[in-house]
Amino acid sequence: MTKEDILRAYLEDDLFIQNNYLKKGEAQKHKWATDTNSNLIKVIKTAIDGGIMNESTNITERKINILLNNQS
Amino acid sequence: MILQSIELNNFMCYAGYNKFDFTEGINVIIGDNGYGKSKLFDAFYWVMYDECFDTAKKKFQKTSLLKRSIVSDKAIVECDEGVITSSVKLTFHNTDKDSIYILERRYNVRKSDDKIIEDQDSEEIIWFKEMAYLNAKEIKESEQIERIKKTILPDNIKPYMWFQGEQVESIIDFNRNDTLTQAINILSNITRFDNIITIAEGLNETAKKELGKRQRDQSGDKGKSESLELRKQYLLERIKSLELQEIQYKDNLATAEEKSEMLLNKHAEAQKIRDVEAKRKNIENNLKDIQEEYNEEQKSLHKRMFTNKWVLKGTENLFEDYGKMYNQFEVKKMQIEAERNAKLNTENALITELQARLPIDVPEPIHVQHMLDNERCLVCDREAPAGSEAWLKMKELIDRSMLKIRTPEDEESSFHNFSMDLRKLYQNGLGLSHNIKSIDDDINSTYRRIRKLDKSRKLQSENLTKIESEINSIIVEASLNVDQARNLINEYSAQNELAKRTITEVNSNANLIGKRKEELQKIETELSKLVVGEIPTYLIEKVKVLAEFSQIAESTRKRVFRKLVQILEEEANKHYLEMTQGNMSSRGIIRLKELSNGKNYMPELVDEKGNVLLQLNTGNIILIKLATIMAIISARQGSRDTDLYTLITDAPMSVFGEDYTIGFCKTVSKVYRQSIIMSKEFYKNTKLREQLLTNTDIKLGKVYLITPSIPQNERSNRNSLSTNIEKLN
Repeated sequence: MTKEDILRAYLEDDLFIQNNYLKKGEAQKHKWATDTNSNLIKVIKTAIDGGIMNESTNITERKINILLNNQS
Repeated sequence: MILQSIELNNFMCYAGYNKFDFTEGINVIIGDNGYGKSKLFDAFYWVMYDECFDTAKKKFQKTSLLKRSIVSDKAIVECDEGVITSSVKLTFHNTDKDSIYILERRYNVRKSDDKIIEDQDSEEIIWFKEMAYLNAKEIKESEQIERIKKTILPDNIKPYMWFQGEQVESIIDFNRNDTLTQAINILSNITRFDNIITIAEGLNETAKKELGKRQRDQSGDKGKSESLELRKQYLLERIKSLELQEIQYKDNLATAEEKSEMLLNKHAEAQKIRDVEAKRKNIENNLKDIQEEYNEEQKSLHKRMFTNKWVLKGTENLFEDYGKMYNQFEVKKMQIEAERNAKLNTENALITELQARLPIDVPEPIHVQHMLDNERCLVCDREAPAGSEAWLKMKELIDRSMLKIRTPEDEESSFHNFSMDLRKLYQNGLGLSHNIKSIDDDINSTYRRIRKLDKSRKLQSENLTKIESEINSIIVEASLNVDQARNLINEYSAQNELAKRTITEVNSNANLIGKRKEELQKIETELSKLVVGEIPTYLIEKVKVLAEFSQIAESTRKRVFRKLVQILEEEANKHYLEMTQGNMSSRGIIRLKELSNGKNYMPELVDEKGNVLLQLNTGNIILIKLATIMAIISARQGSRDTDLYTLITDAPMSVFGEDYTIGFCKTVSKVYRQSIIMSKEFYKNTKLREQLLTNTDIKLGKVYLITPSIPQNERSNRNSLSTNIEKLN
């Protein structure tokens, strides 16, 4: 599975439609490089990247924390 | 990578030099049990992993433990002194790069004065040769050796490519989450999704704590906030423990469900065995009763000669004769009695007369006695010496006076009278003569009864044989004996009970969790109400995003896993259908049913409408597992594993019937570019062998027949054992 496949697998979750983060069919079209304002998608991408790069869990968690703390 | 050949020198039962060449397609080594198939599998495995499969311990053992058992006994016996080397050489051809890898393993023992000195370990030699060049290069660096071995067979797919038939059961254990996850990981790296769950849960936890701290810091009533926080922490702990409990319950439920399902497959057969066994016992008891009665009848048959007076049969005339004789006797007896009475009367009359005729002047008897004593007649006053005529005359007078009148009774006491006995005999005979008439009827009815018992005994015996054969065939078919069937039925009810009980526990646990969560929600609302001022928006957003991330991470992992299981299922079905083609009895589609804990899966065979087919026996399960093992390799996304690596398996078909053998070979030859299969199925069944050699649907490689130099039953040791290899194509 490529990282794009993994991302799509997450975006296909019903929660994205339920919470209006994505419209029906958008998940399948979504590319890794697609720009997004959704923090949730950004978090997921960071976590996937961390896995692909064999980062330690701590580093990935720190990256996500920084990402979300910087929203202020 | 194609395995070109294996060369064995003094390896186990392969004494001397032996070589098998292989090509693409399915290569088959045919041999009966104990002919050296497993040793050949060991040889492959030994070269690569320095281990052989110990069938007694059901696990692989290192050379350092096996030592001299690796070396052919024949080679050891035939060597007087010196080093005996056991070696196996594998030659792989990398067709993509046109290069050759030669992997060799050697193990030495030394013989000196009949003592065997074993080397501690084996020696590994690896050669690499590019076909374009003539020279071969020995590889000595351990890292490079490992790399080459992983090129030949990567560790993660090894269990699905090189395996013993008896390992199939454990390679894919549907009710063990780890074996399925391991298999799924071959298809796609599900561990990535697991790692993301760990990250998401950790972040979610930390974010919640961060928010809690901020709420407490900004609280208008710090005391209340503290106490609410304490309660909140308690509830969180409680919920956590309840959730752990829930996992445990669900695992228990899944295990119980899985066991019930597994048992259900055989439940109908077990019930049938139990019912037939009950019938058998009933027949057996009946037979026992009848047999006892029959034996009793046989025993009492002789007694009846006397008890039922059968001994008298044919004596009817005897009684008639006796009757006549008795009659004559009675007549004669009466005559004799009449005569005797007449005689007595005459004699008595004479006595009376004689007594009456005594002279009037005869003295009284006492005087007569006196005269006898004095030997003198006082009447005539003359001498009468004792014994003289005069004396005797006087004595006669005395004796006559003493004569008595005799009666018939007096007469009778003087001789034996059998009259009563003879009459008794006559009367007895009279009674018996009636019995004699009914003896034939009695004999007939007795023999009728014996015949009836015998017939019934034979019938019950036949029934018993029939039912025993019925029960045996069910037992063979179901692979269950009577005790196992009984245990299975008990176990099935116990597991069902457990499942019911666990469902109640799961529900009541879920209620508790629900209540705790409600309370937690209220506390969080209260805590947020106590906050003075604004909580930073980023923090609220962060908590929300991370809660959603955690939720999505969990559900996505589940979804992806399910999808992969589905892919595995679809691919396995392709292989299963191909393997079972031509065998109507095992039609069905494999369905991997998810169990209640959401982690474990149960294989089922369903019909086209999705109805579960319950005849899942050991053979079916092994077929499903083999199909799944093939699917793991063949469904691997974007891989060429089935082209790159050689399937080597020993006796994979031994568990399922011969009906599936050709189907299995067809499927294997389609799925794998090269495979090496050790099989006994083609040994005795020459028809099947012919099919293997001629069936055009099978992409056939080399076929060999291996036989031991001395049959197993004719050898007391392996001192002269070697293996004959015959090429069949």
